[in-house]
Amino acid sequence: MTLRKTPNRTELLQGTLDMLILRTLLFGPAHGHQIAKHIQRTTDDVLQVEHGSLYPALHRIEHKGWVISKWETAKEGNREFKYYRLTPAGRKQLVREESRWKQLAAAVATVMWPVPGDRS
Amino acid sequence: MSVWKRFSWRPIRFWKRDDRDRELDRELASHLELESKEQQESGLSPEEAHYAAQRTFGNTTLVKEDVRAIWSLIWLERFAQDLKYGARLLRKNPGFTLIAVLTLAMGIGANTAIFSAIDTLMLRPLPFTAPDQLVRIYSIQKGMFNTFANPDGPSALDVRDFAQRSRSFQKMVAYDTWAKNVSFGESTSQPEQMPVGLVPAAYFEILDIPPIIGRLFSEDENQEGKNYVAAISAQLWRNRFDGDPSVLGRKIRINGEAYTIVAVMPDVIPAWVEPGRHSEIWTPFPYPPDMWSESGRGERGYAVLARLKPGVSLEQAQADLSVIAAALAAEHPVDQGVGVAVKRLADSRVGALRPMLYLLMGAVSLILLIACVNLANLLLARNSARQRELAVRAALGAGRGGLVRQLLAETLLLSLIGGAVGFASAEIGLRTLARLQPENLPQLGSVGIDWRVLTFTLLVSLVTNLLFGLAPAFMGTRLNLVDALKQGGRSGTSGRSSQRLRSLLVITEIAMCLMLLVGASLLVRSIMRLESQNLGIRQDHLLRGRIYLPPVRYTNPGVRTRFCDDFATRVRTLPGVIEATVTTVYPPNNGWTQMLVIPGHPVTRIQDIPSAQFGVVDEHFLRTLGIPLIRGRDFAESDGATSPPVALISEEFKRRYFSDEDPVGRKIHIGPPQLPGITVEENITDDVDVSIIGVIGDFKNAGLALAPQPQITVLYSQHPLVNGGFKDIVIRTALEPHLLEPEIRTQLHELDSDMPFAQVQTIDELVERQTGGQRFTTVLLASFAVAGLALAVVGLYGVVSFLVAQRKQEMAVRMALGASRANVLWLVLKHSLGMASIGAAIGLFGAWASQRLTSGLLFGVSPVDPVTFTGAAFFLLAIAVIASAIPAARVLLINPAQALRQD
Repeated sequence: MTLRKTPNRTELLQGTLDMLILRTLLFGPAHGHQIAKHIQRTTDDVLQVEHGSLYPALHRIEHKGWVISKWETAKEGNREFKYYRLTPAGRKQLVREESRWKQLAAAVATVMWPVPGDRS
Repeated sequence: MSVWKRFSWRPIRFWKRDDRDRELDRELASHLELESKEQQESGLSPEEAHYAAQRTFGNTTLVKEDVRAIWSLIWLERFAQDLKYGARLLRKNPGFTLIAVLTLAMGIGANTAIFSAIDTLMLRPLPFTAPDQLVRIYSIQKGMFNTFANPDGPSALDVRDFAQRSRSFQKMVAYDTWAKNVSFGESTSQPEQMPVGLVPAAYFEILDIPPIIGRLFSEDENQEGKNYVAAISAQLWRNRFDGDPSVLGRKIRINGEAYTIVAVMPDVIPAWVEPGRHSEIWTPFPYPPDMWSESGRGERGYAVLARLKPGVSLEQAQADLSVIAAALAAEHPVDQGVGVAVKRLADSRVGALRPMLYLLMGAVSLILLIACVNLANLLLARNSARQRELAVRAALGAGRGGLVRQLLAETLLLSLIGGAVGFASAEIGLRTLARLQPENLPQLGSVGIDWRVLTFTLLVSLVTNLLFGLAPAFMGTRLNLVDALKQGGRSGTSGRSSQRLRSLLVITEIAMCLMLLVGASLLVRSIMRLESQNLGIRQDHLLRGRIYLPPVRYTNPGVRTRFCDDFATRVRTLPGVIEATVTTVYPPNNGWTQMLVIPGHPVTRIQDIPSAQFGVVDEHFLRTLGIPLIRGRDFAESDGATSPPVALISEEFKRRYFSDEDPVGRKIHIGPPQLPGITVEENITDDVDVSIIGVIGDFKNAGLALAPQPQITVLYSQHPLVNGGFKDIVIRTALEPHLLEPEIRTQLHELDSDMPFAQVQTIDELVERQTGGQRFTTVLLASFAVAGLALAVVGLYGVVSFLVAQRKQEMAVRMALGASRANVLWLVLKHSLGMASIGAAIGLFGAWASQRLTSGLLFGVSPVDPVTFTGAAFFLLAIAVIASAIPAARVLLINPAQALRQD
């Protein structure tokens, strides 16, 4: 069962965040802090991940079965963290989200830069 | 890997939020810690780093709340998912679902309907102030069986003496209800026969009902001549006077006389408080001037209502009155052998239907039990079939919580659907009850669904559901998975014990079902006997209507005779009418017993006075009703007011009083003999010598259940003393009787536009009405028996199908080893026959033990009638064989080679 999708701004952003999280986890299991930091760093701090969105998103996609979580000791030190790991279903979802995002981006681009061949 | 495994399949335990909360705290704390460490690395002091981390992180509480919101959403989603899955499962097994829902609906519906009715009829407190103080007082004739069905009221004089001498009562009142001709307002074109309550003001005072507007009657107004005031019900006020407050002072015409409306009474008096039908008009009880002379001492039959003094018990009141009754019996010969009974008003409300309601109560309880047993059986069978599925799902990682939640959702869904259908069927059931309503149970129309009963039955079925629906989840998850899976294919997972449990359930079902069947068959046989009786007349095409000739217009017997003769003559000339007679007697009832003096029967004691059912008729009586003349002659036109009085007696009369002598030509006296203490009363007793001119066939004159009593029939034209205002006309028609009703009404209207033609019914309808109570019970009990039978069949069918499926391998082995298919079939049938026989034996015993419930309701059939008992038992066994033969026949389809290769 999936949540009903209504195309509004928050939903879009939320879906995007899901996608970013899934993409981040493609490199391997990570805990919340790492995920946030990774997204922030990769985008040169353009995307600041709100923690208020990150954790609900993590719990939601965990329920959907795209990620699973466990408490593990970090490599450095004896501290335990809740690590999230991508599942096969999550991988598939990532592919879906990605293609959706590409479509969306292309559509936005056609509107913004209408001359064919001019977009790059 | 082991750590992974430990967490990955952990079910979400929605009821253990604390765990998750703690985990979330930990997760967020670890994040914050890392954040502050990073800040520290960029050169801040630990404290500053801590706050910086907090700032970056944002509002922790808000984050937690957001996460929790997601959890609730997840829980709801899961539950919806479970419901959806459950609904899918139910849809996928439409047979199971249908049967389970119907089972639930029957149990819930039947119980809700019947217990709602019982609550209204028997349990709910009366709508009066201190209802426990309200009692009725009856007379008991010594040696007569006095029941609620056949209560006898004391005489007005007795009541006066009871009231004066007793110390237990605040107030006591004798009252009555009479059918009277009523016209409203100025227009007299629409006369109606309505019951009018004759009540002193004390009646309302005892019930503690003040008028809505107006005043109660005064004591003065109970005197004849001053009694022309009336109280009307609020309903009548609304319907006839549009609730006009100026209704006080308006007049209504009762029996041709004008009465002034002085009060409007609230609609709180239930119909059963009044004798006869529900009154909407009350007038004072006009005592005739000679009311208090001793001559009225024997004139019994008044309804008596009284209110006990606070703190006086029913027993004390009874003892008090018994002493007075004994004293009265010693003082007045006519009171000899007459006792008194005090009963609570509340206990009189169901009247004769009490035993029927008890019977129905027993029946629906059995239905509920059967339904629960069936449900248990169904769920047991299905869930043990599903145990393998559950084991597989557990093996695939579903936690016990998940399984329980899943089963819970299914069970809830099933119960809710069943409850809804049950509610609907209760509603339909109550409507049907109201339509079936026997004449003597008018309060049945007002029965509404009792929510407590509905809740109770719903809870019972829910508990059954949960008990048997969830059990396999717990048993199943406790199973060693490997074993369950390994065993699953071979032999099913249900062990011998659960098989035994199911058999036990089926046995119980069959036993209870047989009890219902026996009860229903007994009632059906009884009612068939009752209705198929020969009434002693040609019963078909007879129409009965009542008229009342008020004394103000029809002042003397001669006028009354002329009116009745005119009316009957007019009716006889109508096309479609074969004959008509004006009479006071016709089967199945008479109810007017007359004391006689018969030569050769000297009496010294009051109890020995010869008596007979008495009918006052015209000369067309025999021809209209089709009663055979055995000997002598019929009444003739020449028998008139001036010729010598004549009488016809019935064969039973001849047997009782003349044995083998020829009664024709003998003279007897109609009226009581000259004994001390017996006085002749007007309107009740005749006082004429008659000659017997003929002997006629016996006809039912004491109700359907009793044999014909001695009957004597005379002409009203020759008996002015008993030529009263109440007359019935009985008409033999060539057409459907009711078709003639408007024509007859027109004829009556032409003779007297103020006179209503009332209670028009065919004799067939009258007979049917007499058996209304029994019919009511019979129809209900029969439908319960059918429901029980259906449930039992379903139960048996289920168990046998399951058995066959489960023992397929075993059967295959047997066949492979040389057993014939018939042998194998017998093996299965033997099992179900065994269950059915044990069940039937227990059921027969149960039916025998509960004979007390039915005995009072049966006519001409013993409550332990062997034919019914064996018939019902064999019928049930036959049904059981059929119900199990169908699934058992599946063993014939077993291909041993294939079955053995499976799994």
